Amino acid sequence: MNETAKLAGDAGSRDPGIGLRAVRALRVLVERLEALQVENARSLGWSWQEIATLLGVTRQAVHKKYAGGRGLTRREK
Amino acid sequence: MFERFTTEARQAVTQAQEHARRLHHLEVGTEHLLLGLLGQPDTLSGRTLNGHGLTLERAEAELLRALPGPDPRGGDLDADALETIGIDLAAVREKVEATFGPGALDREPGRDHRGTLVSGRHIRVGKGAKKALELSLREALALKSKDIRDGHILLGVLREAEGLGARIIGVAGIDIPTLRTELERRLRPDPKLPG
Repeated sequence: MNETAKLAGDAGSRDPGIGLRAVRALRVLVERLEALQVENARSLGWSWQEIATLLGVTRQAVHKKYAGGRGLTRREK
Repeated sequence: MFERFTTEARQAVTQAQEHARRLHHLEVGTEHLLLGLLGQPDTLSGRTLNGHGLTLERAEAELLRALPGPDPRGGDLDADALETIGIDLAAVREKVEATFGPGALDREPGRDHRGTLVSGRHIRVGKGAKKALELSLREALALKSKDIRDGHILLGVLREAEGLGARIIGVAGIDIPTLRTELERRLRPDPKLPG
């Protein structure tokens, strides 16, 4: 067990310095996993709506995030 | 920009990506382009480099020697912080790589030229390699070639003199001006010329 983990074990993660850092690390991890999964779903022909439903977000949200800045004019299914 | 690339030239770029991925590097550099060229010993660039004593194995050994320290696996992924909440990053990485290939989790998602978000599964072509490929186009024009061939890519790598690719060639004891002259001579338009 490394030092940080030991510290967390001792402090029971009441230390915001440790807790917040963990949240941030988790967010980075989630973003990467999401990108891999969304891209894979698209390559398998899934629609933005289908992806959005499983991610629990709106179609617009997932389209805006993944389909790029020109999403307003582009009407991809 | 790849429309005018010959099959061998395209292959060099594809292989460069594969090498970068296999070595867990975050992006494609001129050094990977060099490996991609060397991976095709029957092409003009492969043959010429081999003829000067630079093999794929040698180039890879130099590449690994030249890169400062181990490649920072994970980039911003904070394994220690994840461990504090019981997440074993190594285990997650293993599962993700089994599906999406080596390094898929280690590269940050980015945007392509259309603004589409692309995952870490794709390995981006780095600045230096991009420059070298652009220079290969210029070399092809200068040598009055309609196509961009593997030899032009090698010339592009040589022109990107600060790049690791050119440095590896230099470290291997090859005189770059000599190599350049030789390549230019063999790339001059002549339909009967092999390679």
